[in-house]
Amino acid sequence: MNVAANGLSTTSPKGKSFIVKSKNGIVTAVLAVYAVVTLYPLIWLMLSAFKTNADFAHPFAIPKVWHWENLQKAWTVSHMGTAMVNSIIVTTVALALTLVLGALAAYVLSRFQFKFKVLIMGFFLLGMLIPIHSTLVPLFILMNKIHMLNTYPALILPYVAFQLPIAIFIATAYMSTFPKDIEEAAFVDGMGYWGIFWKIILPLASPALATVAILSVLRFWNEFSFALVFISKASLKTVPLSLSVFANGYGTDYKLTMAAMAISVIPTIAVYLLFSEKIMKGMTAGAVKG
Amino acid sequence: MLSFGARTRGFVVAALLPATLLYLVFVIVPLLWSAYYGFYDWKGMGAAKYIGFDNYLEVFKDPLFWRAFKNNMIIVAASILGQVPIALGLALVLRKATWFRRFVRTAVFMPMVLSSVVVGMIWGYVYHPQIGILNSLLETLGLNSWEREWLSDPSIAMYSLSVPIIWNYIGPFLIMFIAALQNIPEEINEAAKMDGVRPFRKLFTITFPMIWDTFKVIIVLCISGSLKEFDFIYVMTGGGPAHSTELMATYMYNNTFSVYRFGYGSAVSTMIIVLSLALVLVSQILMKKKNP
Repeated sequence: MNVAANGLSTTSPKGKSFIVKSKNGIVTAVLAVYAVVTLYPLIWLMLSAFKTNADFAHPFAIPKVWHWENLQKAWTVSHMGTAMVNSIIVTTVALALTLVLGALAAYVLSRFQFKFKVLIMGFFLLGMLIPIHSTLVPLFILMNKIHMLNTYPALILPYVAFQLPIAIFIATAYMSTFPKDIEEAAFVDGMGYWGIFWKIILPLASPALATVAILSVLRFWNEFSFALVFISKASLKTVPLSLSVFANGYGTDYKLTMAAMAISVIPTIAVYLLFSEKIMKGMTAGAVKG
Repeated sequence: MLSFGARTRGFVVAALLPATLLYLVFVIVPLLWSAYYGFYDWKGMGAAKYIGFDNYLEVFKDPLFWRAFKNNMIIVAASILGQVPIALGLALVLRKATWFRRFVRTAVFMPMVLSSVVVGMIWGYVYHPQIGILNSLLETLGLNSWEREWLSDPSIAMYSLSVPIIWNYIGPFLIMFIAALQNIPEEINEAAKMDGVRPFRKLFTITFPMIWDTFKVIIVLCISGSLKEFDFIYVMTGGGPAHSTELMATYMYNNTFSVYRFGYGSAVSTMIIVLSLALVLVSQILMKKKNP
Protein backbone atom coordinates (compact mmCIF):
# COMPACT_ATOMS: atom_id res chain seq x y z
CA MET A 1 0.00 0.00 0.00
CA ASN A 2 2.85 2.37 0.86
CA VAL A 3 4.54 1.70 -2.47
CA ALA A 4 1.42 2.83 -4.30
CA ALA A 5 2.65 6.41 -4.72
CA ASN A 6 4.13 6.07 -8.20
CA GLY A 7 3.91 8.11 -11.41
CA LEU A 8 0.54 6.67 -12.40
CA SER A 9 -1.21 8.29 -9.51
CA THR A 10 -3.04 11.53 -10.26
CA THR A 11 -3.33 12.77 -6.70
CA SER A 12 -0.44 14.76 -5.35
CA PRO A 13 2.05 12.79 -3.24
CA LYS A 14 1.18 14.86 -0.19
CA GLY A 15 -2.60 14.30 -0.40
CA LYS A 16 -2.13 10.62 -1.13
CA SER A 17 0.05 10.00 1.88
CA PHE A 18 -2.51 11.79 4.05
CA ILE A 19 -5.30 9.53 2.77
CA VAL A 20 -3.17 6.42 3.25
CA LYS A 21 -2.23 7.53 6.73
CA SER A 22 -5.76 8.23 7.94
CA LYS A 23 -6.96 5.03 6.31
CA ASN A 24 -4.29 3.12 8.20
CA GLY A 25 -5.34 4.92 11.36
CA ILE A 26 -8.94 3.78 10.97
CA VAL A 27 -7.87 0.22 10.23
CA THR A 28 -5.64 0.21 13.27
CA ALA A 29 -8.41 1.56 15.48
CA VAL A 30 -10.89 -1.03 14.21
CA LEU A 31 -8.35 -3.78 14.75
CA ALA A 32 -7.61 -2.59 18.27
CA VAL A 33 -11.31 -2.57 19.14
CA TYR A 34 -11.71 -6.01 17.62
CA ALA A 35 -8.78 -7.39 19.61
CA VAL A 36 -10.15 -5.96 22.86
CA VAL A 37 -13.64 -7.34 22.22
CA THR A 38 -12.11 -10.72 21.43
CA LEU A 39 -10.02 -10.74 24.57
CA TYR A 40 -12.62 -9.18 26.86
CA PRO A 41 -14.35 -12.38 28.02
CA LEU A 42 -10.94 -13.63 29.10
CA ILE A 43 -9.98 -10.38 30.81
CA TRP A 44 -13.34 -10.41 32.58
CA LEU A 45 -12.70 -13.98 33.73
CA MET A 46 -9.31 -13.04 35.18
CA LEU A 47 -10.71 -10.01 37.02
CA SER A 48 -13.74 -11.94 38.28
CA ALA A 49 -11.54 -14.59 39.85
CA PHE A 50 -10.57 -12.05 42.52
CA LYS A 51 -14.04 -10.70 43.30
CA THR A 52 -16.61 -11.45 45.98
CA ASN A 53 -19.97 -12.87 44.92
CA ALA A 54 -21.58 -9.51 45.70
CA ASP A 55 -19.19 -7.76 43.26
CA PHE A 56 -20.82 -9.61 40.38
CA ALA A 57 -23.71 -7.17 40.49
CA HIS A 58 -21.36 -4.79 38.66
CA PRO A 59 -19.76 -7.03 36.06
CA PHE A 60 -17.51 -4.38 34.53
CA ALA A 61 -16.03 -3.12 37.78
CA ILE A 62 -12.49 -3.94 38.80
CA PRO A 63 -12.45 -5.76 42.17
CA LYS A 64 -12.21 -3.27 45.07
CA VAL A 65 -10.26 -5.75 47.14
CA TRP A 66 -8.28 -8.47 45.38
CA HIS A 67 -9.30 -11.76 46.98
CA TRP A 68 -6.31 -13.98 46.31
CA GLU A 69 -7.72 -16.61 48.63
CA ASN A 70 -10.37 -17.37 45.95
CA LEU A 71 -7.69 -19.09 43.93
CA GLN A 72 -6.60 -21.22 46.85
CA LYS A 73 -10.14 -22.21 47.77
CA ALA A 74 -11.04 -23.00 44.16
CA TRP A 75 -7.92 -25.13 43.86
CA THR A 76 -9.04 -27.22 46.86
CA VAL A 77 -12.75 -27.43 46.03
CA SER A 78 -12.18 -28.49 42.42
CA HIS A 79 -9.40 -30.96 43.32
CA MET A 80 -7.40 -29.09 40.74
CA GLY A 81 -4.11 -30.62 41.94
CA THR A 82 -5.27 -34.15 41.15
CA ALA A 83 -6.83 -33.00 37.90
CA MET A 84 -3.60 -31.28 36.82
CA VAL A 85 -1.53 -34.40 37.58
CA ASN A 86 -3.98 -36.54 35.59
CA SER A 87 -3.99 -34.12 32.69
CA ILE A 88 -0.18 -34.00 32.71
CA ILE A 89 0.11 -37.81 32.69
CA VAL A 90 -2.46 -38.30 29.95
CA THR A 91 -1.11 -35.46 27.83
CA THR A 92 2.55 -36.52 28.13
CA VAL A 93 2.03 -40.19 27.31
CA ALA A 94 -0.39 -39.45 24.49
CA LEU A 95 2.03 -36.88 23.09
CA ALA A 96 4.99 -39.28 23.12
CA LEU A 97 2.95 -41.98 21.39
CA THR A 98 1.56 -39.56 18.82
CA LEU A 99 5.01 -38.25 17.94
CA VAL A 100 6.74 -41.62 17.64
CA LEU A 101 3.94 -43.51 15.88
CA GLY A 102 3.00 -40.54 13.73
CA ALA A 103 6.59 -39.83 12.68
CA LEU A 104 7.26 -43.48 11.85
CA ALA A 105 4.12 -43.75 9.74
CA ALA A 106 4.88 -40.41 8.08
CA TYR A 107 8.45 -41.52 7.30
CA VAL A 108 7.21 -44.64 5.54
CA LEU A 109 4.39 -42.83 3.76
CA SER A 110 6.61 -40.00 2.54
CA ARG A 111 9.82 -41.85 1.58
CA PHE A 112 8.82 -45.33 0.34
CA GLN A 113 6.83 -46.63 -2.59
CA PHE A 114 4.56 -49.58 -1.94
CA LYS A 115 1.28 -51.07 -3.03
CA PHE A 116 -1.43 -49.69 -0.73
CA LYS A 117 0.27 -46.39 0.03
CA VAL A 118 -2.36 -44.09 -1.47
CA LEU A 119 -5.12 -46.12 0.11
CA ILE A 120 -3.56 -45.98 3.58
CA MET A 121 -2.87 -42.27 3.26
CA GLY A 122 -6.47 -41.58 2.23
CA PHE A 123 -7.65 -43.77 5.04
CA PHE A 124 -5.80 -41.64 7.59
CA LEU A 125 -6.98 -38.39 6.00
CA LEU A 126 -10.58 -39.55 6.32
CA GLY A 127 -10.01 -39.50 10.07
CA MET A 128 -9.95 -35.70 10.07
CA LEU A 129 -13.59 -35.62 8.97
CA ILE A 130 -14.92 -38.14 11.48
CA PRO A 131 -16.81 -36.68 14.44
CA ILE A 132 -15.35 -38.29 17.54
CA HIS A 133 -18.81 -38.50 19.08
CA SER A 134 -19.80 -41.15 16.60
CA THR A 135 -17.32 -43.47 18.26
CA LEU A 136 -18.32 -42.74 21.86
CA VAL A 137 -20.93 -45.48 22.20
CA PRO A 138 -18.97 -48.37 20.67
CA LEU A 139 -15.76 -47.31 22.45
CA PHE A 140 -17.65 -47.11 25.73
CA ILE A 141 -19.00 -50.62 25.18
CA LEU A 142 -15.61 -51.96 24.10
CA MET A 143 -13.85 -50.44 27.10
CA ASN A 144 -16.55 -51.65 29.43
CA LYS A 145 -16.03 -55.20 28.15
CA ILE A 146 -12.27 -55.21 28.57
CA HIS A 147 -12.46 -53.27 31.88
CA MET A 148 -10.63 -50.26 30.55
CA LEU A 149 -13.10 -47.58 31.72
CA ASN A 150 -11.62 -45.39 34.45
CA THR A 151 -8.00 -45.99 33.46
CA TYR A 152 -5.44 -43.71 31.83
CA PRO A 153 -5.29 -45.80 28.62
CA ALA A 154 -9.04 -45.24 28.16
CA LEU A 155 -8.14 -41.64 27.34
CA ILE A 156 -4.62 -42.01 25.96
CA LEU A 157 -5.35 -44.57 23.23
CA PRO A 158 -8.34 -42.79 21.64
CA TYR A 159 -6.56 -39.42 21.93
CA VAL A 160 -3.58 -40.78 19.99
CA ALA A 161 -5.77 -42.55 17.45
CA PHE A 162 -7.71 -39.37 16.68
CA GLN A 163 -4.60 -37.18 16.59
CA LEU A 164 -2.65 -39.47 14.24
CA PRO A 165 -4.33 -38.20 11.04
CA ILE A 166 -3.30 -34.58 11.56
CA ALA A 167 0.16 -35.63 12.85
CA ILE A 168 0.78 -37.84 9.81
CA PHE A 169 -0.59 -35.15 7.50
CA ILE A 170 1.78 -32.43 8.75
CA ALA A 171 4.84 -34.71 9.11
CA THR A 172 4.41 -36.36 5.71
CA ALA A 173 4.14 -33.00 3.97
CA TYR A 174 7.37 -31.88 5.64
CA MET A 175 9.36 -35.09 5.14
CA SER A 176 8.51 -35.21 1.43
CA THR A 177 10.59 -32.06 0.99
CA PHE A 178 13.86 -33.71 2.16
CA PRO A 179 16.36 -34.36 -0.65
CA LYS A 180 16.18 -37.86 -2.06
CA ASP A 181 19.79 -38.84 -1.48
CA ILE A 182 19.65 -38.70 2.34
CA GLU A 183 18.93 -42.40 2.69
CA GLU A 184 21.41 -43.38 -0.01
CA ALA A 185 24.28 -41.60 1.70
CA ALA A 186 23.41 -43.22 5.03
CA PHE A 187 23.20 -46.64 3.38
CA VAL A 188 26.73 -46.25 2.11
CA ASP A 189 27.72 -45.66 5.73
CA GLY A 190 26.07 -48.97 6.60
CA MET A 191 23.07 -47.55 8.45
CA GLY A 192 19.75 -49.45 8.59
CA TYR A 193 16.29 -47.92 8.19
CA TRP A 194 15.74 -47.67 11.94
CA GLY A 195 19.08 -45.93 12.31
CA ILE A 196 18.19 -43.53 9.50
CA PHE A 197 14.81 -42.84 11.10
CA TRP A 198 16.11 -42.12 14.60
CA LYS A 199 19.39 -40.42 13.71
CA ILE A 200 18.58 -38.52 10.53
CA ILE A 201 14.86 -38.20 9.78
CA LEU A 202 13.65 -37.38 13.29
CA PRO A 203 16.15 -34.55 13.90
CA LEU A 204 15.56 -33.13 10.43
CA ALA A 205 11.79 -33.24 10.90
CA SER A 206 11.88 -31.56 14.29
CA PRO A 207 10.26 -28.28 13.13
CA ALA A 208 7.23 -30.14 11.80
CA LEU A 209 7.14 -32.39 14.84
CA ALA A 210 7.28 -29.35 17.13
CA THR A 211 4.13 -28.08 15.43
CA VAL A 212 2.47 -31.46 15.80
CA ALA A 213 3.52 -31.51 19.46
CA ILE A 214 2.02 -28.11 20.26
CA LEU A 215 -1.27 -28.82 18.49
CA SER A 216 -1.43 -32.21 20.24
CA VAL A 217 -0.74 -30.83 23.69
CA LEU A 218 -3.47 -28.22 23.33
CA ARG A 219 -5.93 -30.81 22.09
CA PHE A 220 -5.14 -33.45 24.72
CA TRP A 221 -5.10 -30.94 27.56
CA ASN A 222 -8.49 -29.52 26.58
CA GLU A 223 -10.30 -32.68 25.50
CA PHE A 224 -13.69 -33.14 27.10
CA SER A 225 -16.04 -35.68 25.48
CA PHE A 226 -13.95 -38.82 25.92
CA ALA A 227 -13.09 -37.86 29.48
CA LEU A 228 -16.75 -37.21 30.24
CA VAL A 229 -17.83 -40.65 29.06
CA PHE A 230 -14.87 -42.87 29.95
CA ILE A 231 -13.93 -41.43 33.34
CA SER A 232 -16.25 -41.30 36.32
CA LYS A 233 -13.76 -41.88 39.14
CA ALA A 234 -12.95 -38.60 40.90
CA SER A 235 -9.26 -39.48 41.26
CA LEU A 236 -8.84 -39.80 37.47
CA LYS A 237 -10.65 -36.66 36.31
CA THR A 238 -8.81 -34.35 33.95
CA VAL A 239 -8.88 -30.54 34.16
CA PRO A 240 -11.82 -29.85 31.78
CA LEU A 241 -13.82 -32.62 33.41
CA SER A 242 -13.28 -31.37 36.94
CA LEU A 243 -14.22 -27.85 35.76
CA SER A 244 -17.46 -29.04 34.21
CA VAL A 245 -18.61 -29.85 37.73
CA PHE A 246 -18.85 -26.09 38.25
CA ALA A 247 -21.10 -25.74 35.21
CA ASN A 248 -24.03 -26.86 37.35
CA GLY A 249 -22.87 -27.85 40.86
CA TYR A 250 -21.48 -24.52 42.03
CA GLY A 251 -23.58 -22.41 39.67
CA THR A 252 -24.14 -19.59 42.14
CA ASP A 253 -20.70 -19.44 43.74
CA TYR A 254 -19.48 -17.27 40.90
CA LYS A 255 -16.16 -16.30 42.40
CA LEU A 256 -15.08 -19.90 42.96
CA THR A 257 -16.10 -20.95 39.48
CA MET A 258 -14.22 -18.03 37.97
CA ALA A 259 -11.15 -18.70 40.08
CA ALA A 260 -11.10 -22.38 39.10
CA MET A 261 -11.42 -21.47 35.43
CA ALA A 262 -8.69 -18.84 35.75
CA ILE A 263 -6.32 -21.40 37.25
CA SER A 264 -7.08 -23.89 34.52
CA VAL A 265 -6.46 -21.50 31.62
CA ILE A 266 -3.15 -20.11 32.88
CA PRO A 267 -0.99 -23.08 31.75
CA THR A 268 -2.47 -23.15 28.24
CA ILE A 269 -2.19 -19.41 27.82
CA ALA A 270 1.43 -19.55 28.97
CA VAL A 271 2.25 -22.31 26.49
CA TYR A 272 0.44 -20.40 23.80
CA LEU A 273 2.24 -17.11 24.40
CA LEU A 274 5.60 -18.92 24.42
CA PHE A 275 4.94 -20.76 21.19
CA SER A 276 2.40 -18.60 19.37
CA GLU A 277 4.69 -17.89 16.39
CA LYS A 278 5.37 -21.60 16.06
CA ILE A 279 1.67 -22.46 16.26
CA MET A 280 0.85 -19.95 13.53
CA LYS A 281 3.66 -21.32 11.35
CA GLY A 282 2.41 -24.85 11.88
CA MET A 283 -1.12 -23.84 10.93
CA THR A 284 0.29 -22.10 7.88
CA ALA A 285 2.21 -25.19 6.77
CA GLY A 286 -0.93 -27.28 7.07
CA ALA A 287 -3.00 -24.71 5.20
CA VAL A 288 -0.63 -24.34 2.28
CA LYS A 289 -0.33 -28.08 1.75
CA GLY A 290 -4.09 -28.50 2.07
CA MET B 1 13.88 -44.70 -5.08
CA LEU B 2 15.32 -47.33 -2.82
CA SER B 3 15.49 -50.99 -3.72
CA PHE B 4 12.52 -52.85 -2.38
CA GLY B 5 13.80 -56.04 -0.81
CA ALA B 6 12.40 -58.17 1.97
CA ARG B 7 14.25 -56.08 4.52
CA THR B 8 12.59 -52.92 3.28
CA ARG B 9 9.21 -54.58 3.28
CA GLY B 10 9.79 -55.68 6.87
CA PHE B 11 10.59 -52.11 7.89
CA VAL B 12 7.62 -50.62 6.09
CA VAL B 13 5.25 -53.02 7.80
CA ALA B 14 6.84 -52.63 11.22
CA ALA B 15 6.84 -48.84 11.03
CA LEU B 16 3.31 -48.51 9.73
CA LEU B 17 1.66 -51.20 11.83
CA PRO B 18 1.37 -49.56 15.29
CA ALA B 19 -0.24 -46.35 13.97
CA THR B 20 -2.53 -48.22 11.61
CA LEU B 21 -3.64 -50.71 14.27
CA LEU B 22 -4.37 -48.02 16.83
CA TYR B 23 -6.29 -46.01 14.24
CA LEU B 24 -8.24 -49.05 13.11
CA VAL B 25 -9.18 -50.20 16.61
CA PHE B 26 -10.14 -46.80 18.02
CA VAL B 27 -11.51 -44.95 15.00
CA ILE B 28 -12.58 -47.18 12.12
CA VAL B 29 -13.84 -50.30 13.89
CA PRO B 30 -16.01 -48.27 16.32
CA LEU B 31 -17.67 -46.60 13.36
CA LEU B 32 -18.58 -49.95 11.83
CA TRP B 33 -19.59 -51.26 15.22
CA SER B 34 -21.84 -48.27 15.74
CA ALA B 35 -23.63 -49.02 12.50
CA TYR B 36 -24.05 -52.62 13.68
CA TYR B 37 -25.38 -51.76 17.15
CA GLY B 38 -27.95 -49.63 15.40
CA PHE B 39 -29.74 -52.85 14.46
CA TYR B 40 -30.34 -53.79 18.10
CA ASP B 41 -32.66 -52.78 20.87
CA TRP B 42 -30.29 -52.64 23.77
CA LYS B 43 -30.10 -50.86 27.12
CA GLY B 44 -26.34 -51.21 27.52
CA MET B 45 -26.67 -54.27 29.69
CA GLY B 46 -28.58 -57.54 29.44
CA ALA B 47 -29.61 -59.09 26.18
CA ALA B 48 -29.58 -57.13 22.94
CA LYS B 49 -32.52 -57.81 20.67
CA TYR B 50 -32.08 -57.69 16.90
CA ILE B 51 -34.73 -55.38 15.45
CA GLY B 52 -33.50 -54.85 11.90
CA PHE B 53 -33.87 -51.33 10.54
CA ASP B 54 -36.32 -50.17 13.23
CA ASN B 55 -33.85 -47.82 14.95
CA TYR B 56 -32.78 -46.28 11.65
CA LEU B 57 -36.39 -45.86 10.56
CA GLU B 58 -37.15 -44.25 13.89
CA VAL B 59 -34.28 -41.78 13.45
CA PHE B 60 -35.70 -40.85 10.07
CA LYS B 61 -39.11 -40.15 11.57
CA ASP B 62 -37.83 -38.58 14.79
CA PRO B 63 -38.74 -34.87 14.81
CA LEU B 64 -36.23 -34.24 17.62
CA PHE B 65 -33.39 -35.65 15.55
CA TRP B 66 -34.25 -33.41 12.62
CA ARG B 67 -34.56 -30.46 14.95
CA ALA B 68 -31.06 -31.26 16.18
CA PHE B 69 -29.91 -31.53 12.57
CA LYS B 70 -31.46 -28.15 11.84
CA ASN B 71 -29.57 -26.67 14.81
CA ASN B 72 -26.35 -28.15 13.44
CA MET B 73 -27.14 -26.48 10.14
CA ILE B 74 -27.61 -23.15 11.94
CA ILE B 75 -24.05 -23.56 13.20
CA VAL B 76 -22.83 -24.46 9.71
CA ALA B 77 -24.50 -21.30 8.39
CA ALA B 78 -23.09 -19.21 11.24
CA SER B 79 -19.62 -20.56 10.51
CA ILE B 80 -19.75 -19.99 6.79
CA LEU B 81 -21.49 -16.60 6.96
CA GLY B 82 -19.77 -15.44 10.16
CA GLN B 83 -16.32 -16.96 10.49
CA VAL B 84 -15.31 -16.96 6.84
CA PRO B 85 -16.00 -13.27 6.05
CA ILE B 86 -14.55 -12.05 9.36
CA ALA B 87 -11.46 -14.25 8.99
CA LEU B 88 -10.97 -13.15 5.39
CA GLY B 89 -11.47 -9.47 6.20
CA LEU B 90 -8.98 -9.67 9.03
CA ALA B 91 -6.52 -11.63 6.88
CA LEU B 92 -6.58 -8.90 4.22
CA VAL B 93 -5.49 -6.27 6.75
CA LEU B 94 -3.31 -8.48 8.95
CA ARG B 95 -1.34 -9.99 6.10
CA LYS B 96 1.74 -7.89 6.70
CA ALA B 97 3.28 -8.54 10.09
CA THR B 98 4.00 -5.52 12.23
CA TRP B 99 4.15 -6.03 16.00
CA PHE B 100 0.66 -4.60 16.40
CA ARG B 101 -0.79 -6.87 13.74
CA ARG B 102 0.98 -9.83 15.25
CA PHE B 103 -0.63 -8.94 18.57
CA VAL B 104 -4.08 -8.84 16.96
CA ARG B 105 -3.45 -12.23 15.34
CA THR B 106 -2.40 -13.64 18.70
CA ALA B 107 -5.55 -12.25 20.33
CA VAL B 108 -7.85 -13.60 17.63
CA PHE B 109 -6.31 -17.06 17.88
CA MET B 110 -6.41 -17.08 21.70
CA PRO B 111 -9.84 -18.74 22.17
CA MET B 112 -8.55 -21.75 20.23
CA VAL B 113 -6.07 -22.62 22.95
CA LEU B 114 -8.70 -22.61 25.70
CA SER B 115 -10.63 -25.71 26.55
CA SER B 116 -14.09 -25.57 25.00
CA VAL B 117 -15.48 -26.30 28.46
CA VAL B 118 -13.94 -23.06 29.69
CA VAL B 119 -15.10 -21.16 26.61
CA GLY B 120 -18.62 -22.52 27.13
CA MET B 121 -18.61 -21.56 30.78
CA ILE B 122 -17.25 -18.07 30.17
CA TRP B 123 -19.96 -17.41 27.61
CA GLY B 124 -22.54 -18.94 29.92
CA TYR B 125 -21.66 -16.08 32.25
CA VAL B 126 -21.58 -13.50 29.47
CA TYR B 127 -25.21 -14.40 28.75
CA HIS B 128 -26.18 -14.81 32.40
CA PRO B 129 -29.50 -13.00 33.04
CA GLN B 130 -28.35 -11.46 36.36
CA ILE B 131 -24.57 -11.17 36.39
CA GLY B 132 -23.96 -11.38 32.64
CA ILE B 133 -21.85 -8.78 30.86
CA LEU B 134 -24.17 -8.61 27.88
CA ASN B 135 -27.34 -7.55 29.70
CA SER B 136 -25.30 -5.26 31.89
CA LEU B 137 -23.78 -3.63 28.81
CA LEU B 138 -27.23 -3.13 27.26
CA GLU B 139 -28.43 -1.54 30.48
CA THR B 140 -25.46 0.81 30.58
CA LEU B 141 -26.20 1.83 27.00
CA GLY B 142 -29.83 2.48 27.92
CA LEU B 143 -31.06 -0.38 25.76
CA ASN B 144 -32.95 -2.13 28.56
CA SER B 145 -35.62 -3.36 26.16
CA TRP B 146 -32.99 -5.43 24.37
CA GLU B 147 -32.15 -7.42 27.47
CA ARG B 148 -32.99 -11.08 27.08
CA GLU B 149 -32.77 -14.44 28.73
CA TRP B 150 -30.22 -15.30 26.08
CA LEU B 151 -29.87 -18.99 26.78
CA SER B 152 -33.22 -19.92 28.27
CA ASP B 153 -35.45 -18.32 25.64
CA PRO B 154 -35.95 -21.18 23.15
CA SER B 155 -36.56 -18.80 20.26
CA ILE B 156 -33.10 -17.19 20.46
CA ALA B 157 -30.96 -19.67 22.43
CA MET B 158 -29.51 -21.30 19.32
CA TYR B 159 -28.46 -17.95 17.88
CA SER B 160 -26.90 -16.91 21.18
CA LEU B 161 -24.89 -20.12 21.11
CA SER B 162 -23.66 -19.48 17.58
CA VAL B 163 -21.75 -16.37 18.68
CA PRO B 164 -19.19 -18.10 20.92
CA ILE B 165 -18.76 -20.78 18.28
CA ILE B 166 -17.95 -18.12 15.69
CA TRP B 167 -15.68 -16.33 18.17
CA ASN B 168 -13.82 -19.52 18.97
CA TYR B 169 -12.83 -20.66 15.48
CA ILE B 170 -11.95 -17.46 13.62
CA GLY B 171 -8.27 -17.81 14.58
CA PRO B 172 -7.32 -20.88 12.55
CA PHE B 173 -9.22 -19.66 9.49
CA LEU B 174 -7.50 -16.31 9.76
CA ILE B 175 -4.10 -18.02 9.77
CA MET B 176 -5.05 -20.18 6.79
CA PHE B 177 -6.23 -17.15 4.81
CA ILE B 178 -3.06 -15.22 5.64
CA ALA B 179 -0.98 -18.18 4.45
CA ALA B 180 -2.94 -18.32 1.22
CA LEU B 181 -2.63 -14.57 0.63
CA GLN B 182 1.11 -14.68 1.23
CA ASN B 183 1.35 -17.45 -1.33
CA ILE B 184 0.11 -15.22 -4.15
CA PRO B 185 3.21 -14.40 -6.20
CA GLU B 186 4.24 -10.75 -5.85
CA GLU B 187 4.50 -10.38 -9.66
CA ILE B 188 0.75 -10.81 -9.97
CA ASN B 189 0.09 -7.94 -7.59
CA GLU B 190 2.70 -5.86 -9.40
CA ALA B 191 1.17 -6.62 -12.79
CA ALA B 192 -2.31 -5.70 -11.54
CA LYS B 193 -0.94 -2.41 -10.27
CA MET B 194 0.76 -1.69 -13.59
CA ASP B 195 -2.52 -2.32 -15.40
CA GLY B 196 -4.25 0.05 -13.01
CA VAL B 197 -6.68 -2.53 -11.64
CA ARG B 198 -8.69 -0.99 -8.81
CA PRO B 199 -8.32 -2.64 -5.38
CA PHE B 200 -11.95 -3.73 -5.13
CA ARG B 201 -11.89 -5.27 -8.59
CA LYS B 202 -8.56 -6.89 -7.89
CA LEU B 203 -10.08 -8.58 -4.87
CA PHE B 204 -12.71 -10.34 -6.97
CA THR B 205 -10.80 -10.99 -10.17
CA ILE B 206 -7.37 -11.87 -8.80
CA THR B 207 -7.23 -12.41 -5.06
CA PHE B 208 -10.33 -14.60 -4.57
CA PRO B 209 -9.62 -16.95 -7.47
CA MET B 210 -6.02 -17.30 -6.28
CA ILE B 211 -7.11 -18.43 -2.81
CA TRP B 212 -10.04 -20.55 -3.98
CA ASP B 213 -8.42 -23.80 -2.82
CA THR B 214 -8.08 -22.44 0.70
CA PHE B 215 -11.75 -21.43 0.57
CA LYS B 216 -12.64 -24.98 -0.29
CA VAL B 217 -10.63 -26.40 2.59
CA ILE B 218 -12.13 -23.88 5.01
CA ILE B 219 -15.70 -24.60 3.92
CA VAL B 220 -15.11 -28.31 4.47
CA LEU B 221 -13.65 -27.56 7.90
CA CYS B 222 -16.68 -25.34 8.69
CA ILE B 223 -19.06 -28.13 7.80
CA SER B 224 -17.23 -30.98 9.48
CA GLY B 225 -16.41 -28.85 12.53
CA SER B 226 -20.00 -27.67 12.95
CA LEU B 227 -21.36 -31.19 12.76
CA LYS B 228 -18.88 -32.26 15.45
CA GLU B 229 -19.98 -29.59 17.92
CA PHE B 230 -20.80 -30.90 21.37
CA ASP B 231 -18.77 -29.47 24.27
CA PHE B 232 -20.08 -25.88 24.20
CA ILE B 233 -23.68 -26.96 24.09
CA TYR B 234 -23.22 -29.63 26.72
CA VAL B 235 -21.72 -27.09 29.11
CA MET B 236 -23.96 -24.11 28.32
CA THR B 237 -27.44 -25.57 27.88
CA GLY B 238 -27.18 -29.37 27.73
CA GLY B 239 -29.45 -29.18 24.68
CA GLY B 240 -32.28 -27.39 26.48
CA PRO B 241 -34.56 -25.64 27.11
CA ALA B 242 -37.03 -28.15 25.69
CA HIS B 243 -34.51 -29.45 23.11
CA SER B 244 -34.28 -26.01 21.51
CA THR B 245 -30.48 -26.19 21.38
CA GLU B 246 -30.18 -29.91 20.87
CA LEU B 247 -27.46 -30.90 18.42
CA MET B 248 -27.06 -34.30 16.80
CA ALA B 249 -24.14 -35.09 19.12
CA THR B 250 -25.95 -34.02 22.31
CA TYR B 251 -29.05 -35.91 21.18
CA MET B 252 -26.91 -39.00 20.69
CA TYR B 253 -25.31 -38.48 24.08
CA ASN B 254 -28.60 -37.99 25.89
CA ASN B 255 -30.20 -41.02 24.27
CA THR B 256 -27.27 -43.23 25.10
CA PHE B 257 -25.99 -42.12 28.46
CA SER B 258 -29.06 -40.51 30.05
CA VAL B 259 -31.94 -42.74 28.93
CA TYR B 260 -29.75 -45.75 28.08
CA ARG B 261 -31.00 -46.44 24.58
CA PHE B 262 -27.65 -47.69 23.32
CA GLY B 263 -29.06 -49.13 20.11
CA TYR B 264 -30.87 -45.94 19.21
CA GLY B 265 -27.87 -43.81 20.19
CA SER B 266 -25.72 -45.91 17.87
CA ALA B 267 -28.15 -45.41 15.01
CA VAL B 268 -27.98 -41.64 15.62
CA SER B 269 -24.15 -41.83 15.64
CA THR B 270 -24.16 -43.57 12.30
CA MET B 271 -26.52 -40.95 10.90
CA ILE B 272 -24.12 -38.21 12.06
CA ILE B 273 -21.27 -39.78 10.07
CA VAL B 274 -23.41 -40.37 7.00
CA LEU B 275 -24.78 -36.82 7.03
CA SER B 276 -21.33 -35.30 7.66
CA LEU B 277 -19.70 -37.13 4.79
CA ALA B 278 -22.68 -36.44 2.53
CA LEU B 279 -22.57 -32.70 3.25
CA VAL B 280 -18.81 -32.53 2.72
CA LEU B 281 -19.21 -34.36 -0.57
CA VAL B 282 -22.04 -32.08 -1.73
CA SER B 283 -20.04 -28.97 -0.84
CA GLN B 284 -17.07 -30.33 -2.80
CA ILE B 285 -19.20 -30.95 -5.88
CA LEU B 286 -20.83 -27.52 -5.65
CA MET B 287 -17.50 -25.75 -5.30
CA LYS B 288 -15.91 -27.71 -8.11
CA LYS B 289 -18.54 -26.32 -10.48
CA LYS B 290 -18.07 -22.77 -9.31
CA ASN B 291 -14.30 -22.97 -9.55
CA PRO B 292 -13.33 -20.11 -11.88
